[in-house]
Amino acid sequence: MFKLLQKFLQRRKKRVLDDWRKNPDISMREVQVRQVKLFADLDKNLQMLTRYAGPSFDVSVRRFTAAGKSPAALVRLDGLVDSRTVEEILRNLMVESRMIDEPGKRGEIKSAALERLLTIAEVREADNIADLFSALSIGNIALLFDGAAQALLCNAKGFLTRAITEPGSEMALRGPREGFIESLRANTSLIRRRIRIPHLWIESLVIGELTQTEVAFAYIKGLAAEKMLREVKDRLGRIKIDGVLESGYLEEFISDTPWTLFPLAQRTERPDIVASSLLEGRVAIFTDGSPHALVVPSEITTLLQAPDDYYEKSPAGSFIRLLRFGAILISLLLPGIYVAVINFHQELLPTALLLRVTAAREGVPFPVIFEVLLMEILFEVLREAGIRLPAAIGPAISIVGALILGDAAIRAGLVSPAVVIVIALTAIASFATPVFSLAIALRILRFLFTVAGAVFGLFGVQLVLFATVIHLCSLRSFGIPYMSPLAPFIWGDMKDALTRAFWWRMRRRPKLIGGQEPQRAAPDQLPLPGRDPGERTDGEKE
Amino acid sequence: MMRTTILIALMPVLTTADTLQDGWASAVAAFFGAALLVAVIGGLAVRFPAETLVEYSQKLLGKWPGKLLSLVPLFAFLYMAATDIRVYGEALVTVFLTETPLAFIIGAMVFISALAAYAGIEVIGRSADLFFPLFLLAIIISLVAPLPQVPILIRNIEPVLARGAGPVLRGAITPIAVISQYMVLTMITPSTIEPKRVLRTALGALGASSAVLAMSALLVVITLGPQRAARSVFPFLSMIRAVQLSEFIERMEVLIVFAWGFGVFIAVAAFLFSGARGLAQVMGLKTYRPLIGPMAAVWVAMAVHAHDDLFQVSTLFQPGLIFPLAAVGFILLPMGVLWGAYLIRALLGRLHGAG
Repeated sequence: MFKLLQKFLQRRKKRVLDDWRKNPDISMREVQVRQVKLFADLDKNLQMLTRYAGPSFDVSVRRFTAAGKSPAALVRLDGLVDSRTVEEILRNLMVESRMIDEPGKRGEIKSAALERLLTIAEVREADNIADLFSALSIGNIALLFDGAAQALLCNAKGFLTRAITEPGSEMALRGPREGFIESLRANTSLIRRRIRIPHLWIESLVIGELTQTEVAFAYIKGLAAEKMLREVKDRLGRIKIDGVLESGYLEEFISDTPWTLFPLAQRTERPDIVASSLLEGRVAIFTDGSPHALVVPSEITTLLQAPDDYYEKSPAGSFIRLLRFGAILISLLLPGIYVAVINFHQELLPTALLLRVTAAREGVPFPVIFEVLLMEILFEVLREAGIRLPAAIGPAISIVGALILGDAAIRAGLVSPAVVIVIALTAIASFATPVFSLAIALRILRFLFTVAGAVFGLFGVQLVLFATVIHLCSLRSFGIPYMSPLAPFIWGDMKDALTRAFWWRMRRRPKLIGGQEPQRAAPDQLPLPGRDPGERTDGEKE
Repeated sequence: MMRTTILIALMPVLTTADTLQDGWASAVAAFFGAALLVAVIGGLAVRFPAETLVEYSQKLLGKWPGKLLSLVPLFAFLYMAATDIRVYGEALVTVFLTETPLAFIIGAMVFISALAAYAGIEVIGRSADLFFPLFLLAIIISLVAPLPQVPILIRNIEPVLARGAGPVLRGAITPIAVISQYMVLTMITPSTIEPKRVLRTALGALGASSAVLAMSALLVVITLGPQRAARSVFPFLSMIRAVQLSEFIERMEVLIVFAWGFGVFIAVAAFLFSGARGLAQVMGLKTYRPLIGPMAAVWVAMAVHAHDDLFQVSTLFQPGLIFPLAAVGFILLPMGVLWGAYLIRALLGRLHGAG
């Protein structure tokens, strides 16, 4: 029976694969375009270009005569290039080239232009239409010369990008205000400026048959485990899809366990987070066109850290981190526990509190679980609506949500004030999760906890908790246990897990990730009066 | 990693705390007796660090006798864990969920544990690591919370050791028998990172749990008084129930039941894993995973039907009944045979070596 099913599935899989091979889709045509080479004849090349690009109005071709004798053409996409650079290139080739008066052969002007005429720093060659067009799309201009079967691609990037601003989804009170933007080069430059050693390696590859998106992954050579790097490279290299518009596409392709709720890669907009992760031996993946970098491997503790923990002093940082852990437990468990206690274990409440809660529930027509689920769903909808709303009418939703729905629901006796308090507390606590994708996972789980609490009481809450823990403990992110250093328990890494130790105490990198180069800070740096380095080397005491 | 698993597997001891006035002395005595048993169990495991009991018993006794013998501890896992979970379920039904069917509680708990066992020993160990601090906290709180009442009721433990050593030693028998749960060591030692340290860890865990047992026995007698303590089915729970730290903090037993839940969850998962793995090895299967489902089902049936009611369960923990069953039947019989075979082989091996 089981075997039969397996056979059936296998046959189905084979059919799908065959189908895919037999009917080349548009991305397969793209592969064929790559094989179309340029001709040595300018007119033929331009004809071919118009054939592929069709009537696109932004492809502009400027024919001119280079060095006074050879016909040439400058191809660019309007809006992507800087017009002053274009003028400069034309001046180089048309005016200043007159100084060259040797009679060149047909097509020789190309190498002359490359070597003597063009004053552009970044010039590449392309010999096929696909490369030429993908270069045009990122702000290059293409120079085609009569008699040369290669085009010169000059970087004349002049398109507009967003300015580097503070990341909207990851705020910090103290710390750099820079955030990534949609341009890959700008993003890597932000990292380069923070880590100034040549060992910071940034490799790139192109993913997406139609979008041809540039994806780069950065790491510190020698610090990141080679095995993990190979794995990253492998998993990225395997991706075949028509387009990659955001790093989220990649995240789903490279996760160890695709169907888990929990994010197995850390998504961040902050260059300081990426830099600190690289320093621990992790790998950062950048996607062109997305301000979100992916950091792998990531554990649950790294997802619960915020930049402030590291920039504030250690006790303060530890306090806010502990607070955050508490908030996360509240946001996960509180509604479930409330429902369970009210439904099954009223005796657990102190008498005075119990009387209050029961009095408040007086006259509410719904069972507790219905009340709680109603308010929770209401809150989720409000939150979702709040994100999509234009800033101008944002306050309106809070008035509708808070005043009309909340207050009126209580006054009308539809929900009890206690439930509103519980849900409000849960909502506030859930905003303390620094990583949005983790917050979503916890939100979804919260519904499970609520239902379990309503059906089976605290016992149910406990069971769901066990199930969650089993799931969390079986997760891995690029081979690193997701719950480390809590489980497996690594004492040395506890300095930076639930609390944050002083920087001079965190002398070692996380064991499982930065194990090849464990040392992070020199030992014995406790700053005490009368203990500056000069005195210490004398070996004197006080 | 497994350290905490082993430690947590001991939680049921708390429920069987001897309620005599000299229960604490029994706990101390039990430590020494149990240490001996753990040494018997762990000693052989350390000598075959890469193999489970099923594997080395075949090596020592030959293929079929070895397989037959290893069925005894495998049945022990089933029986002990079923009893564990039954006690937990009874406590839950008695204290919290009075209207919930027992079978549901047992079934749900075994189901969750089966999930963990299915995920593997690594996941069980990690879960134990994660819960251990909470577990420890719960125990510490439950041991510290009754302390304010101790000075008032201290006279409850008098007379101290009035009846001599006999009852004390008899009281030690039940905790010793519960130690047969340490048989799980024989199955999970090969999965530990440092098999050599298993024995030391197990003895440490035993020491810690004996200390907790002695403390709780003392506190139970002091807080409840000897008569009430002896009548109570779950003396430790009743003790915590009697504690009232302030107007607001009065229901502490929920903490204990939670901690106990962690303990039972980890213990049952470890038993289930060990049982399934052992059975798979006996049957020569490549993976233990297909066995988990049917075994869990049998387990639930066993837990529900092996005992008629709570009183029969507590009768089981009477010294005269549990000791021969658990200690002798489940530990001394298989381990004795194996040790004998091992010693004879070692002796013969030496003879061969000399000759």
